Amino acid sequence: MTIVAGCDVGSLTSKVVIMKSGRIVGSAIIKSRPKPKESAEVVMQAALDTAGLNMDDIARCTGTGYGREKISFVRDIRSEISCHGKGARWLLPSVRTIIDIGGQDCKAMKVDGDGRVIHFVANDKCASGTGRFLEVMAGVLGISIEELGMFSTGSNAPVTLASTCTVWAQADVIKFINSGVPFADIGAGINGAMAKRVAILANTVKPEGDILMTGGVAKNTGVVNTLEKLLGRKIKKTRKADPQMAGAIGAALFSMEKLKNIPGGGE
Amino acid sequence: MHFFYDAVTRIENHAITRWKQSGKKVVGYTCSYVPPEIFHAAGILPVRLRGIETDGMEIGDAYFGPFICSFPKCLLQQAGKGEFSFLDGVLIIPGCDAMRRLDECWRKAGEDHQGIVPTWFEYFDVPHKSEVHGMNWFVQEIRNLIERIERQFGVSVTGTALRESIREYNRGRRLLKTVETLRAEKNVRVSGTDVFSATIAGTVLPREEYTRQLEKWLEDLSGRDPLEGEKKRLMVIGSIADEIDLFQLIENGTDAVVVAENLCFGVRYEGNEIPVNGDPILSLARHYLETSVCPRMFGKYKQRLALLREKIERAGVEGVILQNIRFCDLHGSENGLFQRDLEAEGIPCLRLEREYGPLKETGRIKLRIDAFLEQIA
Repeated sequence: MTIVAGCDVGSLTSKVVIMKSGRIVGSAIIKSRPKPKESAEVVMQAALDTAGLNMDDIARCTGTGYGREKISFVRDIRSEISCHGKGARWLLPSVRTIIDIGGQDCKAMKVDGDGRVIHFVANDKCASGTGRFLEVMAGVLGISIEELGMFSTGSNAPVTLASTCTVWAQADVIKFINSGVPFADIGAGINGAMAKRVAILANTVKPEGDILMTGGVAKNTGVVNTLEKLLGRKIKKTRKADPQMAGAIGAALFSMEKLKNIPGGGE
Repeated sequence: MHFFYDAVTRIENHAITRWKQSGKKVVGYTCSYVPPEIFHAAGILPVRLRGIETDGMEIGDAYFGPFICSFPKCLLQQAGKGEFSFLDGVLIIPGCDAMRRLDECWRKAGEDHQGIVPTWFEYFDVPHKSEVHGMNWFVQEIRNLIERIERQFGVSVTGTALRESIREYNRGRRLLKTVETLRAEKNVRVSGTDVFSATIAGTVLPREEYTRQLEKWLEDLSGRDPLEGEKKRLMVIGSIADEIDLFQLIENGTDAVVVAENLCFGVRYEGNEIPVNGDPILSLARHYLETSVCPRMFGKYKQRLALLREKIERAGVEGVILQNIRFCDLHGSENGLFQRDLEAEGIPCLRLEREYGPLKETGRIKLRIDAFLEQIA
């Protein structure tokens, strides 16, 4: 059976997914290092370890993410927009609209029944509405990003962050902390601010059909719940795999497609 | 190609330096609505001002503020740094409100940065309509401009000299039309980057030298093999763009080729020759005001859309990149209309908002271009 892989080197995290017969047999995620090449090699080795394989077992690997052009072991590269489309389709076959919040950008896209991107928009203004925004805010509160996501449920009076600028919003958060505002309300305000920025982008593509969120922020229930309210639509959940791995999954699926197009290359 | 590339990647290229060394005058201008034939007829080198090579914005931002297009800010930045010190005069045109403000910001900056405002620092008004009243106004503006040039530089711009200059510029227009035909071929043999370099070069080189180089380049092109590999054929439109690296970003390392564009530094109106018979001033006015259909002109959206459709059809365009510089009201809003109308006809569109020149965010833009190319696969 042919084994393929996808390697997604993002600005915050790097991911590798190894697939065999359309199933994930190994995966890993690490915090990205300054050099994309190094991130790719470390995360690939970690994924190979989880699958009990070595590099020679991988028939083909596709690279994606901001560091995609620096990965030494990939045969093909694809944009993360296409990879998230393909990966989301694998996670949820009925998906037609995808909201991907990455470390340094946010994208909304519509896909056809094959996961092919037919329209997309990406944030053009600044870092607000990206994973980096949440990372900075969690840092100010002295908590993890995962904990930040849990805060919304315990809040009755979320604060309002007036500025969409990450640095100025950070100043607001410090002011709220100093004023003794409960962390739950500050956290809920942060998640709400994030959701509002993302909703602008999502509305730009006019969401249709089933919506899925990919990227690390998909695991932040506070952002997801607020976004559902703002969009007036449910965002589908998937248990098939970690939505943060969608880009790497899509990249692995592209590797498989490439092999199938080579005589004798596929399964 | 190296000749054009060298000419357009430096503000003061070798040809300008040589021109100055021979004791002749150079005037900078800021918009495609200026008839350079007038300066040519006066023996002055007209150079379209560009903001390339900017490496900061401490002067531009100080006078313009942050919420405005970065093109005029880059021009002011370069002016403040003395990069336009080779100019004997500057002509400012209200191509848009931001470019109109360049006039007052440059003058104001001149109070703090000595010597950056040339003695001849003039304003050339361009109406927003080309109907009778606007046309009469524009004709008068041209006559007025000629008088000011004659007075300042001690020259005489005769009708005969103007007609000869129109002839010379028409030669270049014919050659550029041939380039447009070549790049529209099914098996395209010239990159969009090369064509763009050749087109911009026409705005910064002495015209006779430009025409000669264009002829040589065309000879070389006609014997060239098609570009390697299957290419996705793109068109680039939108805000002012004179950055070769924007086209390189689209074409280098990708399977894309820019086969058409509609940019004011590009081949937007080339091929439209100016009649040499009759009143040359009237002919120039008609050409520059009536056929220049950029969104600053009122009531010409349908004409602009028709021009895009014609280019798409002619060059077999598979996708359109609609770029606009941040805070560009004219192109920012018109790109939305173009996207709506072109996508309705099944033509994939990518809207890109960016900063001008060296300030543009290449990683972010590259991601979008790559995804767009995959989308139109």
